[in-house]
Amino acid sequence: MATALASARTGASRAVLLSSKPPTTAAKSLKGSKLADAMHRSLYPHLYQQGGGSAPNRKIRQQMGTMKRYKQVEAEREARKVSWFRNKTRTSSINKLAMQPQKPRAIKKACPDPVAATTASQLALHDSTGARTRLFDRTNPECARVGDILLVRQRTGEPFAGVCINIRRRGIDTAILLRGQLTRVGVEMWYKVYSPLVEGIEVVQRAQRKARRARLTYMRKEKHDRGSVENVVRVYLRQKAALGSAEGGKKKGAAAAAAAAGGKKKGNARGKKR
Amino acid sequence: MRPMAPLNWGLLPPSFLLPSSTRSLLSLISLSAAPSHTTIRTIKSVNTPRPDRFAHHPKKPALNSTSRAALARKVATTPLRTGLLAQKCGMTAVFDPETGKRTACTVLQLDRNEIVAHKTREKNGYWAVQIGAGSKLIENTSKPMLGHFAVAGVEPKRWIMEFKVRGKEGLGLPVGQTVGASWFSVGQWVDVKGISRGMGFEGGMKRHGFSGQPASHGQSLMHRGMGSAGGSQGSGSRVLPGKRMAGNMGNESVTVKNLKVLQVDEVNGIVVVNGCVPGPKNQIIKVQDAIGKPWPAGPMKLDEIIPASIGPAAAASPA
Repeated sequence: MATALASARTGASRAVLLSSKPPTTAAKSLKGSKLADAMHRSLYPHLYQQGGGSAPNRKIRQQMGTMKRYKQVEAEREARKVSWFRNKTRTSSINKLAMQPQKPRAIKKACPDPVAATTASQLALHDSTGARTRLFDRTNPECARVGDILLVRQRTGEPFAGVCINIRRRGIDTAILLRGQLTRVGVEMWYKVYSPLVEGIEVVQRAQRKARRARLTYMRKEKHDRGSVENVVRVYLRQKAALGSAEGGKKKGAAAAAAAAGGKKKGNARGKKR
Repeated sequence: MRPMAPLNWGLLPPSFLLPSSTRSLLSLISLSAAPSHTTIRTIKSVNTPRPDRFAHHPKKPALNSTSRAALARKVATTPLRTGLLAQKCGMTAVFDPETGKRTACTVLQLDRNEIVAHKTREKNGYWAVQIGAGSKLIENTSKPMLGHFAVAGVEPKRWIMEFKVRGKEGLGLPVGQTVGASWFSVGQWVDVKGISRGMGFEGGMKRHGFSGQPASHGQSLMHRGMGSAGGSQGSGSRVLPGKRMAGNMGNESVTVKNLKVLQVDEVNGIVVVNGCVPGPKNQIIKVQDAIGKPWPAGPMKLDEIIPASIGPAAAASPA
């Protein structure tokens, strides 16, 4: 393997071989390199004109010199092109404003991520307090997770409660999938978290332990189905109403009332159905 | 062979050959009897000659194969003002605060749009505005293009495209002028043109929605093929031209018409349009006033642009 490597080196880059002394143990490779040198010398004698043994060194130096000169020439040419363009702009431009060519600022510098900017403006509009964002922010220890029972109050219609079995985090399009029961039939509802139609999202009950899945689709199976969450929600609403009244209901009065009203509505509906 | 009669055998000889006494009567004769042109008696053709497409005469109806006629035909579908070049940045959604309706939308960003040239009827045969966008290193630009940019007094542009306009009033923006997102207004309709994602060589199922062939029931080694390409001997034993087959899919120009502008942000160069737009992210897109809707009362010149410093808050409100 060592020989193969060395021969590859001789073939590919002489500079490497020269800078690091070839291993004395690999005598065969040395021989090979000598042969290659001899061949190279016979093929390109003009590179080996001065000096005997140190000719390859000179060759490299020559090559480097050529490269340097090439780069210099290139740079000069580029500089000439730039100055030619600037000069041409000054002399033949239609509008005289361009006498001082002002380079417009790249818009990517002002706004590197336009989608994020649009999303941010939408979030500012639909979630001005940032409460929803915090509720579904993974860094927040109090955030809602899959397995929690969530209650979604809507602008129109009754609130819907169910086990959150999926959180789809997509900026302004963030949505939750709630699984509950209506008329004893399992129902799953997607809600866009930032939709103006969603007035409030409340955590009714936390999961007993953290779910070990991102999506609890196994809950659709009969064995794992949580069934109706009605009782849990009723207890929660009653407790909340009690707390609201105990605290005096100055600050939270409106919210509590709303929640109570929602709860009452739900209660009525349930009554009808039964 | 019969001797050929001269063509003017029915005419009078020239006046200098006539006796001088009759010369005074000559004017009367020429007025009354002699025809003013040579008459050639042949069989009259019943075929009316085919009108020459190029022999225009003011008395004849206007020709429709001229550039003038072509421009006149396209008047209704040529926008009044230029469009701009934008980059597709991705999709997101906006919610309407009142109705709560969610609208999927595409975010476009305008990068350093500048007028590079005007195309005029006199010089080029049509009216158009040449727009450049993005930027390019001078070293990487060819010298002819550098000269073109130098005349306009703009930095070298990465993309250059033309937008046809109806007439001279469409050239309201002077050459070298920078235009921003506020060229468009919230609520207006635009047409969007771009190159679609290239799918490569695709089969009939993906390219044209053919149904393929059965998975089982003795089907052998052919499940996604296109099937028959036409009838046999009775139908001519040939494949009709235009038969849809497998082939290169995508990577072609696609126009999406009538997209609504939902947001405009001059500072960040953002234009948000309703729905989807062809091509991958960072695809360069032509955005121009929709030809299928009434022309917007948008700015035709730079000084007509409403001071575009609509703050982000104001710009954020969706239509």
